[in-house]
Amino acid sequence: MRPSGRSWGIISAFDVVPVMHMQLMRIFLLLVWASSASAAELPDWSGVWQRVEGNGGMFDVSTTKPPNGFAGTPGVRQHPPLTEAWERKYAANLELVAAGRLPDPISRCGTPAGYPRLLALPDVYEFIVRPEQTWIITENGPNIMRIYTDGRQHPPAGERWPTFTGDSVGHWVDGALVFTTVSMVGEAQTVLDRSGMTLSDQASVATRMYLTDEGLLRAELEIEDSLALTEPWRVVRHFRRLPEGTKAYDYACAENNRNPITNSGQTLTLDTDGKVIDKVIEND
Amino acid sequence: MTRSVFAIALLVFAFAADAHHSSAMFDKEKVIEVTATVREFQWTNPHVWIEIIVESEDGVAEDWSIEGLGPNGLFRNGWRPNSFKAGDKITIRFNPMLDGSKAGGFIGAKFEDGHTLGNWK
Repeated sequence: MRPSGRSWGIISAFDVVPVMHMQLMRIFLLLVWASSASAAELPDWSGVWQRVEGNGGMFDVSTTKPPNGFAGTPGVRQHPPLTEAWERKYAANLELVAAGRLPDPISRCGTPAGYPRLLALPDVYEFIVRPEQTWIITENGPNIMRIYTDGRQHPPAGERWPTFTGDSVGHWVDGALVFTTVSMVGEAQTVLDRSGMTLSDQASVATRMYLTDEGLLRAELEIEDSLALTEPWRVVRHFRRLPEGTKAYDYACAENNRNPITNSGQTLTLDTDGKVIDKVIEND
Repeated sequence: MTRSVFAIALLVFAFAADAHHSSAMFDKEKVIEVTATVREFQWTNPHVWIEIIVESEDGVAEDWSIEGLGPNGLFRNGWRPNSFKAGDKITIRFNPMLDGSKAGGFIGAKFEDGHTLGNWK
């Protein structure tokens, strides 16, 4: 029953609502139809995944020397097309690795790994695909990467700032997610791996991700960086789907971090009472 | 108490390189094997910790802290929150700290009933 008392004009809210309701319903149905049509064309990336290329998180295993070397092992490095200036930076970090003093930002349990390093992490991954957006969720860290595929463009320069995962927009092409990422923090707060490889905050990444015939999820990256690279650096990474039912869990890095890092980059070890176990502590 | 120290031929036995921090503090060329009693098992991120009591060569009980990988990956590899219990008698292998302090990176453990965890070959 319609209440009496039309208090605000000739046409009451109760007259308008049915019209609005019908229009909204039409729009909603159109959106559902459009969304469903798009969703039907999207690939199945459900489940829990794990990186294929391990090597202690070495980012570009194809150029790693010695082959199969592990990130963080003295003498192990990759060979991107580096500018002279960036080769010097990388060489300096490699010396820190050799001395056991490379300050890996994620070891402090305060910041995420960022993009593109988040494609080379241990533990597991989830790829949540929607027509308007895809999320890459890494258990380790954790990291949440948002890739918008709703037609938007990167914001203008004045409306974005360097972040760990940057700003990603893209679209779907024949089952492949194609996107570009800009505005990453670079060397200021991230490394690509524990060999000490970094990029600058001028880097951009063009990524293409798709399922291979073998059921692997393949990510092809083309990295450009006017400060670090003399030409585009192409890196490929793969992920394998883990058995159905595999779960991802919390990764609360600060829950019981007994390995604080000194300003000099030394990783300490604490006992259960929080006291330093190390016999030798370098001056910061 | 039994304690043995042996060099390793393959780095595959060493404390895994995927820890959330550098493993530079460990001597990955050396493995210590001791019999010990578990004092506490910390099933926590970013690493699990096996707190053990080791009897020194002169009969003094020493507390050692042995660091493992993260609980999530370990769970997916068969570990459980009660894989170690206070009072368990174990033989444990680890990479010792380079500076000789009483800690190490977990490699493997064998329990009294013969079952093992980690890398025990």
